[in-house]
Amino acid sequence: MKDKTFVIIGNSAAGLSCIEAIRENDKDSKIINISQEAHPPYSRCLLSYYLAGAIDKERLWVRSKDYYKDFNVEPLLKTEVASIDEKNKTVKVSGGRTINFDCLLFGAGGSAKKVDLKGIDKKGVFYLRTLDDADRIRAMLKCVKDVAVLGGGLIGLRAAYGLSRQGKKVHVIVKSSHVFSQILDFESADMIRQELVQNGIQIRTGLAAVEILGKEKCEGVLLDDGSRFECQLVIIGKGVSANIDLLKDKVKINEGIIVDDYLRTSQDFIYAAGDVAEGYDVLEGKPSVNAIWPAAVRQGKIAGFNISGQKTIYEGSCRMNSVDFFGIACISFGIVRPQGSEFEELIHGNLSKNIYRKIVLKNNRIVGGILVTDVEKHGVYMHLALQKIDISDIKDILVDEYFDFGKVIPLIKRQKDSFTRPEYQDANSTYTSIF
Amino acid sequence: METKKIFCDITKCVGCRACELACAVEHSATRDLFLAILESPRPKKRIDTQFIEKDVFQSIGCQHCDDPPCVEACMASCIHKDKKTGKVDIDTKRCVACWMCIMACPFAAISRKAATENKALKCDLCPERECPACVDSCPTRALYHEARKDWAKREKNKVLIKK
Repeated sequence: MKDKTFVIIGNSAAGLSCIEAIRENDKDSKIINISQEAHPPYSRCLLSYYLAGAIDKERLWVRSKDYYKDFNVEPLLKTEVASIDEKNKTVKVSGGRTINFDCLLFGAGGSAKKVDLKGIDKKGVFYLRTLDDADRIRAMLKCVKDVAVLGGGLIGLRAAYGLSRQGKKVHVIVKSSHVFSQILDFESADMIRQELVQNGIQIRTGLAAVEILGKEKCEGVLLDDGSRFECQLVIIGKGVSANIDLLKDKVKINEGIIVDDYLRTSQDFIYAAGDVAEGYDVLEGKPSVNAIWPAAVRQGKIAGFNISGQKTIYEGSCRMNSVDFFGIACISFGIVRPQGSEFEELIHGNLSKNIYRKIVLKNNRIVGGILVTDVEKHGVYMHLALQKIDISDIKDILVDEYFDFGKVIPLIKRQKDSFTRPEYQDANSTYTSIF
Repeated sequence: METKKIFCDITKCVGCRACELACAVEHSATRDLFLAILESPRPKKRIDTQFIEKDVFQSIGCQHCDDPPCVEACMASCIHKDKKTGKVDIDTKRCVACWMCIMACPFAAISRKAATENKALKCDLCPERECPACVDSCPTRALYHEARKDWAKREKNKVLIKK
């Protein structure tokens, strides 16, 4: 019988997988899950699909109705954490309740980066981060014809895509010279941009909004080149910043909360995971905040194992993103725009078919890549990269059309110890016996 | 119980693609080779025959991994690993075609069902059959549907026979 108390702050990817990992080892200890949102666990990444009307609300819930009962967790929804006292190991929540804990997982996620813009408090200006945001946007869609999206990253363009699927005229204003400047190179980003433009989304690069026009309601946007256009809705997608204020001055913080190989912060009994954590990035070779769903799940899980006493090392993740607009898929990972002579790029492109494959190498190891349309083999490349496999033997066919997992089999034989998943050995076992 | 999945004996595989055909037919509406060819959209295979080097082939599909990266990556939480059977399944109804699973799969075992609707597609171990269609169809008996420990035992015995 274990009688500890674990407090999990946040009920998205990191929090949920942490709860599930703890319960694999420890059925009895008390788990309290705090979230400032009133909703049961939902997937934030699905909000743009919800906005597009592609899915209904029911499909946002990523866990069953009885989730908290099944996992024997006390949910404290719609509850703000007022403060964390790391000396006495207590958490004070809104309403005045103080909770003692033995271990805490901090998975408070991120918030939309706020921008300072004239007229930003007018009606019809939104960030898109929470379900409430999405609901508010959906509620006013009926009286909206034109939409301005500020930001050409994932949040902005996914929202733009969703709203154009709803039949709205969407104008995307991008400050940098091309869309997806964080996750794609110019060539692939241009393919996506063309596809969006062909489908009626207006994209204006190299421009910034300076003012949101209108009296009370938003009526238009003024740009820094002096031009203006009408719109009734503005969505701001300027990125996400980690919600780290609660732990400021209590643990070591850089861009996010610094964690060790066990996802522990500089306080032994406080763990951090998800968009707040600055975990190890294998391909960058340094800690970095990778605010993506898969990394949050992985980190939450590993933290959960460690919290419940099963020592597990976090092997690190890498940056990766996947988008699909109008049937054109595009996935990228790691370093996509290398700077420096130590990098090598292998590229295969066929513009007429919207096919693009680029793999970035450093010392004959893959460190990044972009695939457009022909995306199925993405994982093969990425895992070769994460395991730091020497690919010099297959370098000449790496970005060919017919490259597939079969070409990796000889590598598994030669670099057996680097391939850590047991499934690799399953695939390799009979190949090895041929010779 | 240990996960039962499909193993390919590379020494026996001749790359004939009979498994691919059987897989597509099994996942067609009519389940008949000659009618399946006429179906629209064409049924899709979930197993891939791959060339490794001269005269060496393999047939590979979902590995139903011990620690599946696709399950962690799925932002719609529609991929699950069954605790009892170890099988990794996609709840297609909830799939939103974000391709996060494709992004994460080390074996490129997931594909896009492009013809009518966009959904992730992979080996489901033929839930309506006792033995998956690809295994039954293999003319050289290169495919096995079994747990890892049985596979390992078979491999060990094979080496003994060779000697």
